[in-house]
Amino acid sequence: MIGNTHVTVPGSVPPGRFSSKLLEKRDLSDRYYLLVMSRPPAFDDPGPGTFVHLLVPDGGRFFLRRPFSILGCDEATISLLIVEKGTGTQILRRIPEGTELDFIGPLGSSFPQMPGRTVLAVGGGVGLAPLYFYGTRAVRDDCDRYRLLYGARTRDDLFLDSFEWSVEGIAFATDDGSYGFSGNVVELADEELTRAPADVVFSCGPTPMLEALVELARSRGVPHCVSLENRMACGVGACRSCVVPVSIDGAESYRTVCKDGPVFDAEIIVWNELPRV
Amino acid sequence: MSEHSKTDVRVRIGPVEFKNPVFLASGICGYGEEYSPLMDIQKLGGIVTKTITPRPRKGNPPPRIHEIPTGALNSIGLENVGLDAYVAEKLPKLAKEKIDVIVSVAAEHIEEFDSIAETFAPLDGYKGVELNLSCPNVEEKALDHGRNPAFVEKLTRVVKNRLVDKAVLVKITPNVTDIGSVARAAEAGGADGISAINTVLGVDFDLATGKPVFFRGSGGYSGPGILPIALQKVWEVSRAVSIPIMGIGGISSVDDARKFFVAGASAVQIGTSLWQDLELPQRIVSEFEQHPEWMKKGEVKT
Ligand SMILES: Cc1cc2nc3c(=O)[nH]c(=O)nc-3n(C[C@H](O)[C@H](O)[C@H](O)COP(=O)(O)OP(=O)(O)OC[C@H]3O[C@@H](n4cnc5c(N)ncnc54)[C@H](O)[C@@H]3O)c2cc1C
Ligand SMILES: Cc1cc2nc3c(=O)[nH]c(=O)nc-3n(C[C@H](O)[C@H](O)[C@H](O)COP(=O)(O)O)c2cc1C
Ligand code: FES
Repeated sequence: MIGNTHVTVPGSVPPGRFSSKLLEKRDLSDRYYLLVMSRPPAFDDPGPGTFVHLLVPDGGRFFLRRPFSILGCDEATISLLIVEKGTGTQILRRIPEGTELDFIGPLGSSFPQMPGRTVLAVGGGVGLAPLYFYGTRAVRDDCDRYRLLYGARTRDDLFLDSFEWSVEGIAFATDDGSYGFSGNVVELADEELTRAPADVVFSCGPTPMLEALVELARSRGVPHCVSLENRMACGVGACRSCVVPVSIDGAESYRTVCKDGPVFDAEIIVWNELPRV
Repeated sequence: MSEHSKTDVRVRIGPVEFKNPVFLASGICGYGEEYSPLMDIQKLGGIVTKTITPRPRKGNPPPRIHEIPTGALNSIGLENVGLDAYVAEKLPKLAKEKIDVIVSVAAEHIEEFDSIAETFAPLDGYKGVELNLSCPNVEEKALDHGRNPAFVEKLTRVVKNRLVDKAVLVKITPNVTDIGSVARAAEAGGADGISAINTVLGVDFDLATGKPVFFRGSGGYSGPGILPIALQKVWEVSRAVSIPIMGIGGISSVDDARKFFVAGASAVQIGTSLWQDLELPQRIVSEFEQHPEWMKKGEVKT
């Protein structure tokens, strides 16, 4: 182990409450789909890593809002990349275009700007969204060089035919070897770091993948920013439902994923006490 | 409602008057600041801030929230910043924003409640306190106190003696067989009002592991599913005491709120449903302003 290097994460900004129209809904693969909604004029410019807390419409039962990272945001639209998990994401997949969506946002912390630095971003599954968003902006001056590695189960989950991948420097890994690097995206990250070092690692995805990346980044002495998930209720830091254990200068406490996170310095997280969501 | 005068929906609890009968429940709105970008909290009757304890509490390990089709189970474990930080940082912010505050407090011993009351007695910036004798997510001992009428009476008296010009509410647990006797004890101790109910003890199991979903096992059940339980308990309390009651539990519509007044409440608190519907509290205020007659206790108008 080389060392635990730290990195500072930009904090959350006061959110707003909005209602906007679902403009487009597109199936990308068996499990993945895209929601594009109109951007309310008062919706603040979201940092990459921030999310919206969306009410599931026509639930017909009690539903907590569902958090989704922002995949893209321009003057007129906000887009989300969603994978079907359970009832909430099934309902969202069925609602017709034109439906009014009620959401709070933008919420939470963002991946930091790294002017003049090289970033290696590693996304697993739906954890792609915030890193893709960063990548589409990185052409401006967020960082000097942005390499994005995206790992999925199969070629189908790369939606190569249904999505206009508009980010440079992306490489793919599939578990079944049906496209790109054959194997785990962390193995690909290991190879990439060997080939060309990075100043910082960004990551978002399933917890086992993140844990493996923590080891990898530590062994290379590279600071690591991670986006975490947890079950949420309020989404604004009030109810203390969504906490994760952190250790800062030896003092253990809890931080909220919704307001203190979702993007954290990986070195403050107490990984072995993280809840499995 | 006449066109030129705003109707009077004020509500009096002991020595204190609130501008309307709609409040946010403790544990839902944190210390107020989290929701101020999202709603006009100033326009509500007030907020009950997250329960504070003499010292900061770390709370329970996650997971802490578990959704079910009729609401949610939570296991927060009273995570809070503690008395000192609340007084130094949170209360002044709320006062600056002109939010009417009821301070929720909990402790284990009467002496601790007494010293909390002593701390608050000389302070401004709040209108009342709510003694939380009913959180199911902490040690059994504290909860047992809330079920013991003799303890409730003594503790209420100690606090009320120090806070003569504030509203002292006692929040009682539904997890008792005779809620009326606990409410009567609070009234005998000098309480200005009763808040009912806190969450209902509940548990869910993860079939993949055969274990409860929370580390602590049981949690607190809240949301639309507890409405009939809460109405029942408020109805029982209203027959046991004559002091005002804040009805809490499962309110997700204006009609739900009205039902608490029918059951005998004088005010309501909104909890879990705020997570879905941020307009609900203000909608209840507006509709009650249109129909102040809805505030008549026990009234069933057809
Ligand atoms: C900050 C943040 C950003 C997110 N961004 C995205 C995104 O961009 N795209 C996307 O598709 N999803 C994202 N998620 C996850 C998404 O919120 C959940 O998948 C969704 O809430 C599941 O709802 P459901 O009703 O379909 O599933 P449920 O019926 O609630 O659950 C079905 C299964 O999904 C699991 N699950 C539920 N919630 C979560 C969660 N928060 N994290 C992981 N597993 C969960 C449950 O354990 C269960 O096994 C994000 C989560 C967070 C906290
Ligand atoms: C996440 C959560 C945290 C809570 N924390 C507190 C608390 O600190 N003190 C308290 O008196 N009640 C607490 N409660 C109980 C609520 O104030 C309220 O009594 C209960 O949830 C029932 O109302 P509802 O069904 O409208 O939510 C909490 C409830 C929830 C859901
Ligand atoms: S969901 Fe309420 S604090 Fe994060």
